[in-house]
Amino acid sequence: MISNPISLMIAVPLIAMVVAFMTKTRSQARIVALIGSLVPLAISLQMFMEFDKTSEIMQFVESYDWVPSLGVKYTVGVDGIGLPLVLLSTIVSILVVVYAWGENTRPNQFFALLLLNEVGVLGVFTALDFFLFYIFWEIVLIPMYFLIGIWGGPRKDYSAIKFFIYTHVASLVMLLSIFALYFTYRTPAGGRTFDMLTLIQATSDSTLFSPMLVNVIFLGLLFGFLVKMPAVPFHTWLPDAHVEAPTAGSVILAALLLKMGGYGLFRVIVPMMPNVSEHYVTLMAIIGVVSILYGAFLALSQKDIKKMVAYSSVSHMGYVLLGAGAFTWLSVQGAMFQQFSHGLITCVLFMSAGTIGHTAGTRIIPELGGLADRMPKFAVLMMMGFLASLGLPGMCGFIAEFTVLTGSYATLPVYTLIVIFGGIVVTAGYHLWAMQKVMFGPILKKYLDLHDPHSYELLSMSILVFLIVYFGVNPAPIMDIMGVAAEQLIEGPVMTLAQMGVV
Amino acid sequence: MYSDYAYLIVGLPILAFVLTIFLGWHLPKGGGFITVLATIGALILSVGIFKEIFPTDTIVHQSAHWFANFNVGILIDPLAIVMLLMVSFVCTMIHIFALGYMDGDPGLARYFAEAGLFTAAMLGLVFSDNLLQLFIFWELVGVCSYLLIGFWYRKPCAASAAKKAFLVTRVGDIMFLAGMILLYTNMAKLGLPEGTYLLQFQTIYENLVHLPSGQMTAIALLIFGGAVGKSGQFPLHVWLPDAMEGPTTVSAMIHAATMVTAGVYLVARMFPLFYAAPNALMVVAYIGGFTAFFAATMGLVMFDIKRVLAYSTISQLGYMMLSLGAGAAVGAAAVGVGIFHLVGHSFFKALLFLCAGSVIHAVDTNDMREMGGVLRSMKWTGLTMLAGALALVGFPLTTGFYSKDEILVAAFENGLYGLGWLPYAFGAVTVLLTAVYSFRLWFTTFDGEPRTDYGKHESPWVMVGPLVILAICALFMGYPTQDTFYDYVGNNFDHYGVDFDELAVVGGHHIEHEAAHEPFIIKILPIILCVGGILIAALFYSRWKKLDPGIVTSKNDPLRKIVLRRYYQHEIYTGWLAEKVVYGLALVSNVFDLKIVDGAVNKISKLTVGLGGNVRRVQTGVIQNYITAIVLGLTVLLVVVKLGMEVAI
Repeated sequence: MISNPISLMIAVPLIAMVVAFMTKTRSQARIVALIGSLVPLAISLQMFMEFDKTSEIMQFVESYDWVPSLGVKYTVGVDGIGLPLVLLSTIVSILVVVYAWGENTRPNQFFALLLLNEVGVLGVFTALDFFLFYIFWEIVLIPMYFLIGIWGGPRKDYSAIKFFIYTHVASLVMLLSIFALYFTYRTPAGGRTFDMLTLIQATSDSTLFSPMLVNVIFLGLLFGFLVKMPAVPFHTWLPDAHVEAPTAGSVILAALLLKMGGYGLFRVIVPMMPNVSEHYVTLMAIIGVVSILYGAFLALSQKDIKKMVAYSSVSHMGYVLLGAGAFTWLSVQGAMFQQFSHGLITCVLFMSAGTIGHTAGTRIIPELGGLADRMPKFAVLMMMGFLASLGLPGMCGFIAEFTVLTGSYATLPVYTLIVIFGGIVVTAGYHLWAMQKVMFGPILKKYLDLHDPHSYELLSMSILVFLIVYFGVNPAPIMDIMGVAAEQLIEGPVMTLAQMGVV
Repeated sequence: MYSDYAYLIVGLPILAFVLTIFLGWHLPKGGGFITVLATIGALILSVGIFKEIFPTDTIVHQSAHWFANFNVGILIDPLAIVMLLMVSFVCTMIHIFALGYMDGDPGLARYFAEAGLFTAAMLGLVFSDNLLQLFIFWELVGVCSYLLIGFWYRKPCAASAAKKAFLVTRVGDIMFLAGMILLYTNMAKLGLPEGTYLLQFQTIYENLVHLPSGQMTAIALLIFGGAVGKSGQFPLHVWLPDAMEGPTTVSAMIHAATMVTAGVYLVARMFPLFYAAPNALMVVAYIGGFTAFFAATMGLVMFDIKRVLAYSTISQLGYMMLSLGAGAAVGAAAVGVGIFHLVGHSFFKALLFLCAGSVIHAVDTNDMREMGGVLRSMKWTGLTMLAGALALVGFPLTTGFYSKDEILVAAFENGLYGLGWLPYAFGAVTVLLTAVYSFRLWFTTFDGEPRTDYGKHESPWVMVGPLVILAICALFMGYPTQDTFYDYVGNNFDHYGVDFDELAVVGGHHIEHEAAHEPFIIKILPIILCVGGILIAALFYSRWKKLDPGIVTSKNDPLRKIVLRRYYQHEIYTGWLAEKVVYGLALVSNVFDLKIVDGAVNKISKLTVGLGGNVRRVQTGVIQNYITAIVLGLTVLLVVVKLGMEVAI
């Protein structure tokens, strides 16, 4: 039993970041990064053990006044929505450090930024105060911006700026909505508060929030989250950012940063759905379906394997939106699980793309061929990742997608059928096509002296593949706590921390 | 006592998979014996369980919670146990054969690992107690087939065939998935007690009568769509002949004996649902009959020995579907007949493929035109293949004879009840075609004079042994077991109290309980057609050759061209649908995305006070500047909030 585990979990990588930044050699920097991400992993696992899996109340809550005059508090805590993503963040963060073990360019800054990113995402997934939430939300932009801008490919400047401005603009719109909530609601004592759960609960009070106001606030928040996810048509920053980002950057971008958007959906948007116009539910469903299909077709047309994987993220995150919009117990927990599962799977895909890029010297699919011949271990891991991504049963992606589709059919039958008949085969198509072109067939002469990548790259991919299969066979440990959270979301209304009796 | 270890039926082959994939490289023969032993273990368990449940008419059912509303479980009823016996037995034979056949291949460990996983998936599919778990193993079977077809992945055609098999069956799979989701949603509306697993077969059987009839037809058709993909029925059969790019043992295991039968098994498993949706059953009968005929025509003209067998498999699977489709007329007895044909077929088709493998092993070619006279050097292979061919064509007293006869009778009754004569007609004509192509194959390969200089030697005993055992099954299994089998499997659904009369009412049809009396000619016709077909083949292709195939067709015959080009399916599916329509759509989306969607983003950013330019000037690369900027930003944020507060108060 650790007291204040969440604060500790955020503080350790923060301190480690400072230390890593000041180290002089690569080996120092990476050791610091490893320890700095190992501790949060241990804490999050400990939290997962101690977590009461049948309870829907916030756990491990810490709340302190921060700026009392403004009603800003430092409040953190996790429930079934946040905890799985906390686990995902700590797992992915350390595996990225392992994967990037051989980084040579400015290693101290590189590993420091990875740690800062971990601080940011952990903060987002645990913050229960809108002000704190927003700060962490913005902090995450910094490491990613630099990872693209310094370690990126040829068009890094354009992509980094595009990433920064696009998502920043979206954050500002979200901020406006937060302000609207903040200035409309008064606590019983007459003050103001940034408390997330209180403000979200208050939106159901129609004397305070006119339908018009709620709708506007809802749209502003939704826009902020949709850009982050990203959903069509706000997705175009993503492929550019991925293509230019270094592999480690791509991995955390796809596995963790996109999840922030999805997290926002469950924490903020879904509880507000009963209070807003039904048209917005339809809107979410349509955007979700379009993202799934359009993303899949775009992925099919790509020549750069990394860009293909980037578009596949758009497609897969569409399931999150569809499941959230369908608003049934099954669909919401499926969508939550899709976040978790996509976080694991996409890591393997981006690591594969990255490894191919730096061993073969190109990521252009038609220029590759027969790599399995020289890289057998890598080929197996990559294939497992690709099969998981196309939704093969036995791996976690299938559980998520199946649950989303089964749950969504009850309320959104037509959209669900469009996804099933329009998306699944195309998804299988681009994955298999890429596998075949890159890995199979006769080995091309220029690749004859390739060999399996470094063992640390294989190690981190193997662990991910193991987790993908593990949670595909036994999803219950994660899925059950999501189920409890989903039930609370569907039955509503949101309880405040005071009602839960935890502050 | 055996049933307590039922999970090991899948567990042992999974263990073999794990062991061979990690350790196989260091073991002799790639660790193949591990897979063989595991499969034998599964066979022993199956036999043990069979002995426990067979005379007492009990079933084995175990279930545990999995996640959300779903469970995992084992269900071994008559339908499942005969499949378990067949799969574990045939797979054992094939794995033993593979010890000899695959010997020396550098990927031997990978082969046996994947073969073990395949065996596990197929056995798991059979003993699942709910539709979701069945679907999961169904897909695993699919992925194993992808891996095994592409086993020689350095060959471009193998890699491409593997992909094609996966994608085409995937089309079927999404229909299955959709059917399952529809079924779940409809079951959820019934308001069953909380905690009921809605996709459990038992729950489904018990609540079928409450489901809306229109929905049931849709569900049945969608699930049949899955079966069409997996069992190579028209129009999703195109992957199966291409799948012959894999090693011949793979063809025997996956594309003849076991995997392709999964679709038939699925329809049999869901038979009560189909029975309540007679329109769906009619579709099954028509598709089955047509596929039997359609595939046989292509089998007539192929020169690749494995492709002839591939088309013959498709054709025989059509028979099994036809049998189940005739269930509207004959009731649950159709399941007994269909599954009997399935089991018999897996014996003789595995045998035929293994024989073909044995021949290919010796003569080193697939092309029958380069063989001829092989019987002289390969007595055992030739004679066992003859046994397989006789069973395939339904020669009297062989295993294939009994089931085929019953299927045609059922199809005939289907016609009598006004459900269409076409399926029967297809089925009857196909008997003739089957006899012709089977013996064309046998005569061209084994009879006459060697046409090229090929290697002449019989295969080793590890290969011939399984052939002999399978040949005995193919010839003699039918007569002693048939009646018990029909009863045992035909009454499978009695264990769940399925009332077919009630289901018939739901489906809006009724069946006559007294068996119809088919004319004697119906009984005798298959024999005439089969013997006739063998004679025709003998006239054209054997050493007593009296006629030249040229008199029937010429090189420029348009019909022959169409059949030889396999009805232009490749051009339509791959050339047009996949490459033109789908990929074209993808390219258009890409241009749209770059020019319109992203174009708009860039336009907006340019319009916004030349934002790009300004930011670029600020981006100096010095980290302190950024930190300053962010601190500034936060300060501004605080000031805004403070001001806002003042205004609000």
